[in-house]
Amino acid sequence: MKKILYFSALCLSLIGLNSCEDFLKEEPRSQISVSQFYANAADANSAVNNLYRNGFPSFYNASVYAGTTAMYGGYISGLFDNQYKGQEKIVQDCQNLAVDPVVNNGNMLTLWQNCYIAIGRANNAIKYIPTTPGLAAADANKLMAEAKFFRALNYFHLVKMFGGVPKITDPYESLENLYIEKASVADIYALIVEDLKFAVEQGGLADLPMPKNGYRISKGSASALLADVYLNMSGAPLNGNKYAEAATVAKSLINNSNYALIQNGSTPETSAYNTLRTSDNENEYLYVIEYDPSIANGSARPTFCFPNEAATWGEFTYSICNLAYRPVSQILAVYDKTNDLRAQEKQYFHTKYTFTKGARKGETVTFTDVAPYFWFEPNALYTTNKSEKDQAHYRLAEMYLIAAEAIAQSSGVNAEAAGYLATIQARASMNKTKAEITTALMALSKDEFIKEVWKEKIRELIFENKIWNDITRTKMYPTVKDGVFTFVPLVGATNPWGKTFTEKNLLFPIPNDEMQRNPKLVQNPGY
Amino acid sequence: MKKKSGFRGIIPLIWDKKCFRIMRLTILFLFVGLMQVSASLYSQSTKINLDFRNTRVVDVLEAIENQSEFRFAYSAEYIDLNRKVDLDVKGKNIEQTLSIIFDGTNVKYSINDRHIMLFQEGKSAAASQQQKTVSGKVTDSSGGPLPGVSVVVKGTTSGTISDADGNFSLTNVPANATLQFSFVGMKSQEVAVANKTHINVSMQDETIGLDEVVAVGYGVQRKSDVAGSVGVTTSEQLLKSSSFNALQGLKGKVSGVNIFTNSGNPSGNARVIIRGINSINTSSNPLYVVDGVQMSDFQFINPNDIERIEVLKDASAAAIYGARGANGVILVTTKRGSGQGDGVTVSYDGWISVGVLAKKVDLMNAEEFMKMEDIGFANFAKYPQSAKYAGRVVDRSDPLLFDASGKPLYDTDWQDEVTRDAVSHSHQLSIQQQGKTSSVGAFVNYTDQEGIMLNSYLKRMNVKMTYDANPKPWLSTGMNLMVNHTWANDIDETGGGQTARRTMWEMPAIIPVKFPDGRWSSSQFTGNKLNLGLEAMSNPVHELTTRKMNRFKTKLFGNGSLTFHLMEGLDLKTQIGVDANLNKDKNFSPNDLINISSPNGSANISTYDNLYWQEETFLTYNTMIKKHRINALAGLSWSQSTWANSNTGTVTGFSTNFFGYDNLGAGTTPAAPSSDWNRWAMNSYFVRGSYNYNDKYLATVTARMDGSSRFGMNNHYGFFPSAALGWVISNENFMKGISWLNTLKLHTSYGRTGSSEIGVYSTLATISSGTVLLNNGRGASTNVARLANPDLQWEKTDQFDFGFNLSVFNNRVNLDMDYYHKLTSDLLLARPIPYTTGFSSVTDNIGEVSNRGLDILVNTTNIKTKDFTWETTLNTNYNTNRIEKLGKNNEDILTSPGFVGGNVILRVGESLSSFYGYRRLGTWSVAEAAEAAKVGAVPGQAKRSAAREIIGKGLPDWTGSLINTFRYKNWDLTCDLQFVYGVDTWQLYFHSMEDRSGIANGFATILYNGWTETNQNTMVQQIRQQNYAGQDSQADSHWVCDGSYIRGNLIQLGYTFDKKALTKYGFKKLRAYASVSNAFIVDSKDFLGYDPEAVSNGDQFGQNIFFYQYPKPRTFTFGVNVSF
Repeated sequence: MKKILYFSALCLSLIGLNSCEDFLKEEPRSQISVSQFYANAADANSAVNNLYRNGFPSFYNASVYAGTTAMYGGYISGLFDNQYKGQEKIVQDCQNLAVDPVVNNGNMLTLWQNCYIAIGRANNAIKYIPTTPGLAAADANKLMAEAKFFRALNYFHLVKMFGGVPKITDPYESLENLYIEKASVADIYALIVEDLKFAVEQGGLADLPMPKNGYRISKGSASALLADVYLNMSGAPLNGNKYAEAATVAKSLINNSNYALIQNGSTPETSAYNTLRTSDNENEYLYVIEYDPSIANGSARPTFCFPNEAATWGEFTYSICNLAYRPVSQILAVYDKTNDLRAQEKQYFHTKYTFTKGARKGETVTFTDVAPYFWFEPNALYTTNKSEKDQAHYRLAEMYLIAAEAIAQSSGVNAEAAGYLATIQARASMNKTKAEITTALMALSKDEFIKEVWKEKIRELIFENKIWNDITRTKMYPTVKDGVFTFVPLVGATNPWGKTFTEKNLLFPIPNDEMQRNPKLVQNPGY
Repeated sequence: MKKKSGFRGIIPLIWDKKCFRIMRLTILFLFVGLMQVSASLYSQSTKINLDFRNTRVVDVLEAIENQSEFRFAYSAEYIDLNRKVDLDVKGKNIEQTLSIIFDGTNVKYSINDRHIMLFQEGKSAAASQQQKTVSGKVTDSSGGPLPGVSVVVKGTTSGTISDADGNFSLTNVPANATLQFSFVGMKSQEVAVANKTHINVSMQDETIGLDEVVAVGYGVQRKSDVAGSVGVTTSEQLLKSSSFNALQGLKGKVSGVNIFTNSGNPSGNARVIIRGINSINTSSNPLYVVDGVQMSDFQFINPNDIERIEVLKDASAAAIYGARGANGVILVTTKRGSGQGDGVTVSYDGWISVGVLAKKVDLMNAEEFMKMEDIGFANFAKYPQSAKYAGRVVDRSDPLLFDASGKPLYDTDWQDEVTRDAVSHSHQLSIQQQGKTSSVGAFVNYTDQEGIMLNSYLKRMNVKMTYDANPKPWLSTGMNLMVNHTWANDIDETGGGQTARRTMWEMPAIIPVKFPDGRWSSSQFTGNKLNLGLEAMSNPVHELTTRKMNRFKTKLFGNGSLTFHLMEGLDLKTQIGVDANLNKDKNFSPNDLINISSPNGSANISTYDNLYWQEETFLTYNTMIKKHRINALAGLSWSQSTWANSNTGTVTGFSTNFFGYDNLGAGTTPAAPSSDWNRWAMNSYFVRGSYNYNDKYLATVTARMDGSSRFGMNNHYGFFPSAALGWVISNENFMKGISWLNTLKLHTSYGRTGSSEIGVYSTLATISSGTVLLNNGRGASTNVARLANPDLQWEKTDQFDFGFNLSVFNNRVNLDMDYYHKLTSDLLLARPIPYTTGFSSVTDNIGEVSNRGLDILVNTTNIKTKDFTWETTLNTNYNTNRIEKLGKNNEDILTSPGFVGGNVILRVGESLSSFYGYRRLGTWSVAEAAEAAKVGAVPGQAKRSAAREIIGKGLPDWTGSLINTFRYKNWDLTCDLQFVYGVDTWQLYFHSMEDRSGIANGFATILYNGWTETNQNTMVQQIRQQNYAGQDSQADSHWVCDGSYIRGNLIQLGYTFDKKALTKYGFKKLRAYASVSNAFIVDSKDFLGYDPEAVSNGDQFGQNIFFYQYPKPRTFTFGVNVSF
């Protein structure tokens, strides 16, 4: 019996080995639980830092076959092509105006989901920054301004791509209120304007080009976005006539000496456009997406300058090349081939390549198609295999064009508007001065002048993914008619792939996945 | 006639507690492997020490049992157990000891190895009858003499035991008596004397005998008592396949256990699914329990160490493992010191094998490749994208590749270049020492397995030690320690990159392995003029020769137990177990592998350790009261697993390949290092009660309460009950007359098991931390990683099982059949929520999946003569799987692979792992040109459905194996065929092998079956030089083929040398064998790859969807099993 007692005791002692409460408690060490977060200034900083590379900024992430998400607008305009569209079905479907919520669910999700991820994170920061201990009021304001900038940036993209979308301004912390109806386009714009006005007026942001502001959102970044927002609010579908506001904001940047256009150097290699291609630190840059060779490199971007057959030349450190964003001849017609500096060889474009090594060294091959030179990065192509060039999303040149159009729309063609457009045209002109150009522009009718601005926007920003935004805003489609580059109403226009635009093409479809998840959503018309 | 309890062989059916214990012990011994009683000298070599004063005989006998393996059988009626004796025995053998104990009494004894019968001299029932002497011979099923068989006159205690030649002789046998013959492991027989004086008896093996025992988790049960569904495999069957991985040997051996061998890579793991996939987001892997301890990374265990494997399939069997039992439980019992007879047994098991490429795929040779290119160029005008190139011709001026006349210089067969004849070998040395009160086992293994793709290998060193002892009558102990180290060079088997398993097909034959100057080739050359625009590919031989993907793994696995024999039938066992896995992955990829790691090279080292421990304490109580047999268990358990990972980060920027991964500092660009840690813990309580009435009616009730740290705060504990009933109809009196029926048992069970395999911390909202690029440096970055769900709990699988075991015709036909229906609810689902929340899903308990099916096992002995036997085993499972509910709104969920429009779709009403893509309707004909233009196509392109639909499924309806075993004299022949039926295979490589012609090599069939104006009725698109003309490629139904197959899994011929001859040379056993595994495969003609069973995406639903594969070898093996 003794032994029974002994072992019963042992048994009991084993039962008492652990207190179950503690034994089953979950305490992560490599992650922080939400309740422990926003405990200090560093937490608030890191939450805002996250927004710099998620959501809309991630649309600039490149892949050799697919190009970037930011290129979808170019594809649906039909004015840009991708050599690998055979496997990148979204490119074909865009060009064929056959984008479908089911078939292209994944691509539409990329547009939709990433924006809302960033909005959710921005909402989180906006909620908790004011109550973060140890965060000085001025710093809190700046962080708040940055968070609101990014929330506005992502909503702006959503409203442009999808129209009215659910408006969410508080972070989700439970499973309440999952199913939200669409807000109106006006409501979304109201939120965007409110956020950006805060950033510009109350954020206490430095009034500097973004690279000079430690690559943080500056007052210039927020103003540039606000100017673009006002311009878009003035066009379709809102037709809200915010031209005056757009002009005011754009002019506040043009007239600020901290910002300046890049000037042409003395050689073709040091032209403003080659500087734009090679230099990361210029006073023209208002909002850029940063790249770096060791932390986040720009991936395949340099290979977009060469046809896929270049992969076998043995010239580059990249194994695959792809003209992922090749402008078709219809849009290239916008350039004055002889007098526009940008259209010259090795400015925005190139048409031939001279071998630098191997058996064919010195031999020159001519491409079948005009290829972009915009992303040509010799160091990445020949040596490092890592693209490090930043990508500007807003630069001062666009502000000149916004100002020119907005003034013309609100006050008619005047010297100021003409001067702004002429500034951009003169920089690219090989045979005319700014004064000559201004004079000529002053002679244009309002409609002619505005169309000239649109053309200039295509010429100046051809690789900066602005085209679809302007087409849907103006509902005018750039095309070549009777040998002349012009604009025709979008609805009824035929793209280079033989497909005719209808009203439904103004918006992308809401991805089927999201339609299934949220029964309160109504699909965009026509899909 | 007096019909009281009498002898029925070694296992007495005397219904008293004492004897029940004896019987139980006997069963335990059977379990540890004493089923084949050797004609050993145990009884003579074993020395007994006793020192008792005035002690009852029964206590003396118990003391002998406790210090030895002797077990007594007697009838209390005839033996005076309470007689007091004085004893002082030192170093005497059993016979001498017994003669002292029973000196002066009329008790006689007969000793048969460890089994001793006690009986009363001259006791006979009916003296009035005429009595005579009966003699005869007992033989086994093969006709050999069977010594040690107990022969008893039924209803009396008079009996004897057959001698070494199987002969017996009994005196004073009444003429109308019946003789009972019994022997362990054989079926007992009764023969009426009927005036005969000579009776010969042939004993039959009791293959599914009543007394076979099976492991059921926390102990063993007589197989006949088990009302649940348990499958069994023994070491002999497991080892037949001579493979590195024990799961390979288990394949096809247990119905309902489907093992998918998805790769020929030595490092490739087998995937195990028991009775269908239960889950969507959690693992479908079964729980592995080795010697009572849960084990991870089971694939690395040494198969030679395994004694037997039990698979707990239904709820009744698996519920004892509660929240971890829903996917079934694989219980592994490893070898120990005992089991090979007395004293020391040394055995060696070794094999050497050669693996060869089993099949070659028909790819274009150099001439065909150039022809295909010419056609592609000639077709330029047909495609809008290439129309402007019309007139271009293939440039054949590159002197590196073409002679002056433009003929290719090389015709490389890349499949040959990349593969080799892989020589593998394995050596196992076992030393098993059985002592009086303890046994020790020592096992050493070295296995070197080469893969057929260059430079891939997996090697193992394994040491295992066991110690078992009964140091005191009230205490037993057992210990087991295993150290297992494996090291491997792996081959990239995932993703869509241009790595060897892809480029061994896609590298054009016109390219040599090396150029004459010794340089490695690739698809890109400096100064190359080839205008084909070949896709960037490293040369696969170059890659396999220089790239390293080394995996090092050390597993320390051990357990120790103490069993306290508290009182009659009541034991307390406490056991601790440890499973420590220390892993290190080292990768290096040189700076000259194009499209893999050029120009910077890359190296990375990561270390991850997983430490698991458990402590379990349980009471077992076994008793028998009259015809009621009760077996009860109650216990508790704690376990904890911690996982830690540290990763150096991937370093790139190597100017030299000299250092490999051994000097990461030589790289210029280090990525951020990382580390991670997590833990889960469980605390459980479990009970089981089994009841058997008269071997006719069985009932088992099991329940486990599991607390897991992984569940939400609000649901820490889950309860998993089950119940089972059994009815052994054949033991009913009304069935006695049916002589052809041996066993018929019906059984049914219902119960609930769980799956707790959600990711750790899934219930918490956590913040993910890292860095982002900001201002040319790293800025701290954080975001909320997921939504919290404090209500989260385990998945529940409710399972109903109904089955029967039938044995007829002297056990020559055995049929086990089970129907099951499982419904898994509260699926741990990444429940889709609107993306507008900023999250894509929240882990929630939503959704239901059902599996229903049949397990069928048929064993037949078709022919059985003295020299020849033919046995057949058919083992099959039919399973059908259906998603019953999903998410809040039954949303479709698209999962892997997301490849050119191909996904797996989870949709209510459909099977898990349904393929989702376009349907290929054909190719556009010239007549349909206008219609084709509407979708942007031209004649010769694929014609597809407008929307995607379900075009196949990756999980089979039927799986199984058919194993025929023939024995002729000393020869044995095994033919093991394995089959899978009712399944599809999605050949994603059609993307580049068919649809993207011109930039890489492809199937030769595109030249012959491809669309042309004169061959318009084809599924294969027109040849189209992708580089210029673009491509049209979508994962559609044309890529899907029937995935059913029949495989020659194993054909083995063995020869076992005669024991008599061997003894002369000191051998106990010697068997030599030669075998071929993966001898052949019969599959669909539409399947163009190596093997229709493979995966590329290692997730739950990617079965049979693959983008290239590591070919499975055909392996020729020669091996020996020797013991001394």
